[in-house]
Amino acid sequence: MARVGVFVCFCGANIGDFVDVPQVVEEAKRIREVKFAIDYKYMCSDPGQQQIRDAIAQHRLTSIVVAACSPRMHEKTFRKALSDAGMNPYLLEVANIREHSSWVHQKDKKAATAKASDLIRMAVAKSIANEQLHEISVPVTKRALVIGGGIAGIQAALDIADARIPVVLVEKSPSIGGKMAQLDETFPTLDCSQCILTPKMVDVASHPYIELIPYAEVLELEGFVGNYKAKIKKKASYVNFKTCTGCGACWQKCPVKVPNEYNMGIDKRKAIYTPFPQAVPNKPVIDAEHCTMLTKGKCGICAKVCEKGSIDYTMQDEIIEREIGAVVVATGYDMWDPKPYEEYGVGRFKDIITSLEFERMVSANGPTNGLPLRPSDGKVPKNVVFIKCIGSRDEAKGIEYCSKICCMYTTKHTILLHHKVHDSHAYVFYMDIRAAGKGYEEFVKKAQVDTAATYLRGRVSKIYKKGDKLIVRGEDAQIGQVVEVVADLVVLATAVIPPAGNPDLARLLGISYDKYGYMSEAHPKLRPVETAKAGIFLAGCTQAPKDIPDTVSQASACAAKVCGLFSGDTMKKDPMVSTVNNEFCSGCQNCVKVCPYGAIVTEEVPQGHGSKEMRTVAKINEGVCQGCGSCVAICRSMAISLAGFTDPQIINEIVSI
Amino acid sequence: MKKITYFPGCSAHGTSEEFDVTVKMVMKSLEVQMEEIPDWNCCGATSAHTMSESLAYALPLRNLVLAEKLDNTTMAIPCASCYQRLKVTKVHMDENPALAKEINSTIVEEGTYKGNVEVKSMLQYCYEDIGLEAIRAKVTKSLAGLKLACYYGCLLTRPKAITRFDSPEYPVSMDHIVEALGAKATEFDYKTECCGASFSISNTEVVINLSGQILEMAKESGAHAIVVACPLCQSNLDMRQPDIEKHTGKKLDIPIFYFTQLMALAFGMPEKDMMFSKHIVPVEGALAQIGKIEPEPEKIKKPRKAVEAESEVE
Repeated sequence: MARVGVFVCFCGANIGDFVDVPQVVEEAKRIREVKFAIDYKYMCSDPGQQQIRDAIAQHRLTSIVVAACSPRMHEKTFRKALSDAGMNPYLLEVANIREHSSWVHQKDKKAATAKASDLIRMAVAKSIANEQLHEISVPVTKRALVIGGGIAGIQAALDIADARIPVVLVEKSPSIGGKMAQLDETFPTLDCSQCILTPKMVDVASHPYIELIPYAEVLELEGFVGNYKAKIKKKASYVNFKTCTGCGACWQKCPVKVPNEYNMGIDKRKAIYTPFPQAVPNKPVIDAEHCTMLTKGKCGICAKVCEKGSIDYTMQDEIIEREIGAVVVATGYDMWDPKPYEEYGVGRFKDIITSLEFERMVSANGPTNGLPLRPSDGKVPKNVVFIKCIGSRDEAKGIEYCSKICCMYTTKHTILLHHKVHDSHAYVFYMDIRAAGKGYEEFVKKAQVDTAATYLRGRVSKIYKKGDKLIVRGEDAQIGQVVEVVADLVVLATAVIPPAGNPDLARLLGISYDKYGYMSEAHPKLRPVETAKAGIFLAGCTQAPKDIPDTVSQASACAAKVCGLFSGDTMKKDPMVSTVNNEFCSGCQNCVKVCPYGAIVTEEVPQGHGSKEMRTVAKINEGVCQGCGSCVAICRSMAISLAGFTDPQIINEIVSI
Repeated sequence: MKKITYFPGCSAHGTSEEFDVTVKMVMKSLEVQMEEIPDWNCCGATSAHTMSESLAYALPLRNLVLAEKLDNTTMAIPCASCYQRLKVTKVHMDENPALAKEINSTIVEEGTYKGNVEVKSMLQYCYEDIGLEAIRAKVTKSLAGLKLACYYGCLLTRPKAITRFDSPEYPVSMDHIVEALGAKATEFDYKTECCGASFSISNTEVVINLSGQILEMAKESGAHAIVVACPLCQSNLDMRQPDIEKHTGKKLDIPIFYFTQLMALAFGMPEKDMMFSKHIVPVEGALAQIGKIEPEPEKIKKPRKAVEAESEVE
């Protein structure tokens, strides 16, 4: 005879305010098999769990129902409580009366209470048919794949590799370094970005545990946590990296000029190029779109000047495969295009630039030798207007969120302007100054004093041209008046947006992304590094806008997660997997077709006991099976059963209501 | 022969008679037959929609319902304000059938609104339906030499969600039309600033200030004249110009044309029919620029090298 214990949680006010919990407990007690029922403020807390443990012993319970939040939140917690009390953890059922009742029926307490009772009755009925299950052990491939070679990917790769776990680092451009390599100095300490980044880049290239694959992208990921297989496309570089010495003769002689992405198109690079002099690897690639040898078969100068004979115009893209156990996604961010700001004359006025363009100009290795210059006439600007929140916090033209870093980088830009052009004056139009972070507010305050920049709280409504000056008209909300500033140069602090390729990558990895295109974390507060898919983690701006300190912290957190995952030779896995009853299997193989994980194969078994005649039946790899149940649903002879969700369990649930 | 519905609005029969007359001349020349809505009424203008939302919808809706009785798919409106009221009403009625039913019930004797007539400003009609090619084909007397600042005002392209035409901040349709006539459109950043509108009567100083800035910026852009597609813009910029000159002490002398006047001129129609005599600021100085073409600065040709590419070659 089953003896079920029911534990109903108030979840503070989350459930308690909208569901009559004591009444739910009373109703549960009326169910024949329920031998014990109780409520508690926070069932997940230690005293709450202790009640479960005590009741198991005192009332000789055979299965447990916890009515609380979603099983995604605390199923593991309560399973452990059962284990601690010496009970098989899979004898637990969670009735989700928070997400499925109290949160969605806040306006009708009576109905919410009735629904909570129904959910509990179903869980009790199901739990009676629960069987003792045991975790499955699967082998782990101890190698991590890091996608993206910006500071997030670099940090994650180094931290994982330092734990002597092999890492495959895939970067889509010819060099690692990402956006941080484009920065001049970094807030709030103004240390030179290159000086703190490039040594890490070199460490990546020379690390014995890191395989760096630049100019490549991930095409496919199959398998499951601990046992993934990644297909990676190495784009044809047309340069043999093994023999190339990076001497530079090729790019010096190349006659084709292309706008230089690294310098935001301010100057030109060649068709054979390294993105910047400190690139890692410091080997050039040929830009197939612009190289005249590749597009028209004319030129071939680079091959002529290369002493090592490293140029190979016939090179093809190469697909390689790597077996890995975990993935860190670190694809970074892009800058929003301010084109919709037509009232500012974006696109018409050359002397309106974006922050990243300004950053490149004031950068010591930039296209103007570190001096900000007006694109229209190349003159050094005196009055520079910085406008914040371009695209950010703008539901009409841009995106709703705050990009988080613009307040700080704009402050930094006023300092850099002050350093480079001593007699300049900066004006900053702002909505708010958001300087939450260690040393950030101090940095802003100091900058305001040192640079004597004029801060104007308000939005700019229009920019127009008068002679060779730009007139910036905006509101100074603190004096309640419209002001006009005569500017030589206008710098737009454009929003941070996710890379355009994020949704496609998310789909191929099987993880989710939000409405903007940022990768979604498993829990916004308690699991900010994990995705909902086991073994895939997020670092840096691919998840949300972040500054460098936050990015590096998250990258290191990813490394800790990967190391934890790889800490044993095998990995424990939930036993909720499908099994085939060979007696019933007709060998139709419909299950093979519907399995999204490729977990089902076929095998030959004897026709009958001792028979020599063979027949085909389905066989499920329990390591690969994720327990989705597709095979159970398609199996017409009811030969497949999913542990934890057997037919008796489901039928019990249905019958109970 | 194209056929459209015409809603002239009250100013076409008064202050902007020259707009009305030239629209009719130009349309005739472009073989567009215009059918005026019989018994049309006031659009409600600013007054109605500051007083009562339902009145502000009901007045234009009556015109829309009457227009639907004619057998045309498009209605063109010269006045920017009339256009705005009719277009706002059309969009809101089309998007909200319950509201359309409610407002329609107040004018039920006129018929039921169906929403099958497209509402366009005359500028939009010329740009989208007639097209630059057809306009260019009609030009017999090029306006080359004339530099023009195209002024759209606040209503013709805004709000974007309603007008769905051109850019709300930096429109270019009128610029393209005057260039099709041979004139040159100047880079004019004040093309969508407010002229002061009806404050002209209640608080003239506002108009002196706002229209003054528009005129000054137009002058600075190098324009000989301003082109408009709105009767109120025209009257503020033209009629208040002497006051503005008195106020600033600077001679402006910028005539304000309707774009249809210039179309008629370029189409070779007789000047006397364009009612230039109604203008406060004399037009002769600007018209004298036609034909005076500045020599273009000579372009220095770069020698090309052997290697050719889409991208720049050293």
